[in-house]
Amino acid sequence: MKFRTIAATLLATGSLALVAPGRAEAAPEPSPCGAAATVKETLPNGTTWQLCWRINDRAGLVLNNVFLSSPRQPEPVQVLNSIRLAQLNVPYDSGDTEYNDLTEYGLGSYNMETLTGEDCKGGSARTGSDGGADPQQRELLCVSAEPAGLANRLHDYEYDEETGEGTEKVYSRQGHELVLRAISKVGWYEYVTEYRLGDTGQISARLGATGDLAPGEYSQADRGWPIGKEARDYATMHYHSAFWRVDFNIGGKGGETVEQYDTKLDGEGAMTAKLTTTRKTIAKEGSFNKADRRWWRVASPTSTNADGHKRSYELITGADDPYEGHPETQPDVTFTQANLCEKWASDNISDPECPLGIKTILDFAADKQKMTDPVMWVRVGFHHVPRDEDQSPMPMHWQGFDLAPRDFTAINPIAPDGRENVNGNPYPEEEPSTPSEPPASSAARN
Amino acid sequence: MGSYRKWGWGLGIATVTAVSAFGIASWQANAAPGDPSPGVGGMLPKVSDPDPVPEAAAGTGSDALTSTEVDKARAAALTPQLAADARGVTGEAGPEYLSADLGLDGSGREAELYFYDYKTDKLVKQVVDASTGKLVHSYSATGMQPPASPREATVALDLLLADPLSAGFKAAYADATGQAFAGKEGLNVTAHIYKAKPADTGASQCGKKRCVQLIVQTGDGQFINVTDVVVDLSGRKVARLS
Repeated sequence: MKFRTIAATLLATGSLALVAPGRAEAAPEPSPCGAAATVKETLPNGTTWQLCWRINDRAGLVLNNVFLSSPRQPEPVQVLNSIRLAQLNVPYDSGDTEYNDLTEYGLGSYNMETLTGEDCKGGSARTGSDGGADPQQRELLCVSAEPAGLANRLHDYEYDEETGEGTEKVYSRQGHELVLRAISKVGWYEYVTEYRLGDTGQISARLGATGDLAPGEYSQADRGWPIGKEARDYATMHYHSAFWRVDFNIGGKGGETVEQYDTKLDGEGAMTAKLTTTRKTIAKEGSFNKADRRWWRVASPTSTNADGHKRSYELITGADDPYEGHPETQPDVTFTQANLCEKWASDNISDPECPLGIKTILDFAADKQKMTDPVMWVRVGFHHVPRDEDQSPMPMHWQGFDLAPRDFTAINPIAPDGRENVNGNPYPEEEPSTPSEPPASSAARN
Repeated sequence: MGSYRKWGWGLGIATVTAVSAFGIASWQANAAPGDPSPGVGGMLPKVSDPDPVPEAAAGTGSDALTSTEVDKARAAALTPQLAADARGVTGEAGPEYLSADLGLDGSGREAELYFYDYKTDKLVKQVVDASTGKLVHSYSATGMQPPASPREATVALDLLLADPLSAGFKAAYADATGQAFAGKEGLNVTAHIYKAKPADTGASQCGKKRCVQLIVQTGDGQFINVTDVVVDLSGRKVARLS
């Protein structure tokens, strides 16, 4: 427990300090959580997600110990140690108002809404503690399975050499997602924290905002938009910069490595441009920004799939407005060494046990520690220009990102029977045109 | 840092020990793996819908702290010295109790309780072993302002209503409701922490002192705008932001 040791040496604990023995060695690892905090559901295509949930007074919904299994990989394999929101920064374009909704207000405790109405229609409302100072057991988590559209399709033709006849077969499957949703009321806004766990193994994290626009924030035309009659009530434009903290624990083995991939034009081939993809290992803490064809993955050096490939998850970012008003709201992703004092992506100054001077993710990464247990901080911003339709309640606006499995299983978990042996080059007797290693490894640099 | 879990979710009954119900009910209530029936006619596929169970006395693993655990931890955290020396939001003896939770990203069952001492403007963190109920660590520091408790929000509203600056609030109330403000009954008030920014005047002490802004809603859901006002709970005074 590095956290306690560091804090104890750096802080004078003052008159309230007790003489306490050193922290006892941890007892044998407990079970991950009790039955009431467990979600374990199997989607129609056979993929099973299992996890623990709880509400933290500031972060709101926290998922722990997220495991994935599927019919061809029945033993549950851990994906995440935890995922949660890590800040929600809301500055108004007027420059006169700014909120840090997690650290100055909190998504949990008394701000957590009890599910009602159509909040959880078709799903299962789960009861748990609201994480308050005087904790209340309430219906707070909605668990549902939702259609995700056409998941895959293949119009196959099989030729039988013995009979000389061909058979056509169409594989066609609808996908589903296990959806976990909790709702927080933060002033006039209502925020929906949602995780969508797909039968493909994909995890989508997103934050929805509804409720009402701030009732007292009005500006002129260059900072607002008229939402009432004529050109009078210019509701002030503003930002929602959301941060998530993602702690992988792939295969339960920890110690993941972080890699960045970039693809660049590389001359001309016989017909068209050549492109080359390179991998950069991110060994030390740092912040990174998107570029065309750039992506990151967190890979386990020790947990491999049945093909012998490292299990990993890839960060897929989407719509995003970086906020240039603060340095910490500009990087798209920051990787840091796990540290229990590093809780909030900004405004991280509310724990007397922890050193001062680690206020934002940029401070967390500033000493460029070597990462043996990386934590991923993902920022997604949305510049909200109000419109007439935002009254009232405001239609939900969403921001978020996806984590896609890359080589978590040897073939995808919802591949239908009949395709389970399609894995690799179907004509192995023919020489491949390039070395058989994944493209990037030969071009690896640090 | 706690990433190397020794347990795992094995198959079937392999891990059924302390929590015998873990996973079993929901597993069986579900469609069997591979069951291709996604529901019909646009219906959602089924998920299990377990009946809520009574809150356990003690939690397991990453479970939220139970009411029993919080009560025990509060008793241990409020040491005689803290109860005697610290002051709450109205100046009464004993610190202001703010929150209790497991360590946010840790893996143990240690309750972290936060109190605010209005006498010294220190945030006090008391760490209690949730299973033994014993206080194991104590920390305090100035300049730290976690979210306000409901009681602090209520006290802040009282301070505002007793201040001449509440005239603006009362006028906004009358505008919104068509009625003169007759008292705080029926109002729903929440508070968010306010920390002074460099350009602020009038509330520059906020951050070192504990200050809030209020969000006030009438019984019928109308917001009364008071975002131009800051209540300094430490100094028991009200300021208008310029």
